[in-house]
Amino acid sequence: MEKSIEAIWKEGFINNDALIAPKINDLYNQKSIDIVDKFRRMYRINIIGIVLFAVIILPINIAVKIPYMGIPMFFLFLFIAFFAVKFKNKLDKIDKNLNSYQYLKTFDNWTKEMILFNTKLSRFLYPFVFLSLVAGFWFGGFGGNIPGQDVVDQLLMNYPDMLMVFGTPLFVILGLIFGVAFLAYFGGRIGKWDLNLGYGRILRRLDTLLKDMEELRASN
Amino acid sequence: MSSDFYTISILPYSGIIIKICRAYTNSQEDFEDYYQEVCLQIWRSKDNFKQQSEWSTWIYRLSLNVCLTLLKKKKNNKQHQTSDYLPPEAVEDSRVFSDESLNQLYSAIRQLSEIDRGVILLYLEEKTYQEIADIIGTNPNNIGVRIKRIKERLKKILA
Repeated sequence: MEKSIEAIWKEGFINNDALIAPKINDLYNQKSIDIVDKFRRMYRINIIGIVLFAVIILPINIAVKIPYMGIPMFFLFLFIAFFAVKFKNKLDKIDKNLNSYQYLKTFDNWTKEMILFNTKLSRFLYPFVFLSLVAGFWFGGFGGNIPGQDVVDQLLMNYPDMLMVFGTPLFVILGLIFGVAFLAYFGGRIGKWDLNLGYGRILRRLDTLLKDMEELRASN
Repeated sequence: MSSDFYTISILPYSGIIIKICRAYTNSQEDFEDYYQEVCLQIWRSKDNFKQQSEWSTWIYRLSLNVCLTLLKKKKNNKQHQTSDYLPPEAVEDSRVFSDESLNQLYSAIRQLSEIDRGVILLYLEEKTYQEIADIIGTNPNNIGVRIKRIKERLKKILA
């Protein structure tokens, strides 16, 4: 008589060899490699995005007659891409033969170094972007009228007693100083927020994984 | 995860985890990955255990959820990487138990849908309809009919 599936199940597991638990080892191996590989892919896409942006922004800005914004932005983004590539090369050099904990710890150190560099860079980057924007709209296209000067002339006609410093209204200079100071002061935080938008999730996963592994190591 | 926690709270229930992970994997390598992931999730989620159910019932639920999630992730990854992805049930199992009938039964179970695999495993583990419904998150009234259909399908495959 044919055995029922219930009987097959019961009898099959009477023999203990069917229920031998595998050893808990290399628990984090694949996870570690996955998380770093995912980050590497995202970082590479980010670099490509930066270079593309630099290449696209230059002709567009020239076409819409704000080259004084496009040219510095072009060099700025290439500069950022240059350092990002340097960091990526460092990331690629992390030895996959390390054990999972050392591998992740090395990656964690790399992310800390990268975040620190970006935070420092952001203090200059955002004021620079701000000044480029102002320059772009102030000076307009090559040759021809200077839109900023036209506005100043118009203002002088309406407010002839306006305070001027080297031919520029004082409030414009104060606005520039305030803008640059504000962005220099908060640039680091904006940079961190920006990084968090792109990589926050994966960096939090890395933190959790490292905490788990440290707890695991401590309890052994 | 402390070795004490593993020895006291997981190892005595490893049979449950093994039986479930076997039904959702085709190779020893995948099986060990799934087993380890289930153990890790049990350890991580241990503080969420509310003692409203048995520890073993909770392990069943967690094991099933982890296996279903991993399977989904794996399918997604493979579909991203290659267009000729074969579902796990279409790949021959590389492992064998010493009991040939059990091998055949597992092979048949792997041809069921993911949820049906869970339902029949719980049924074979002699869980009540109410427990199965609680673990799977469905209505206990439908469980009986579903099990009947699954058993008929298994009989056909095994015939």
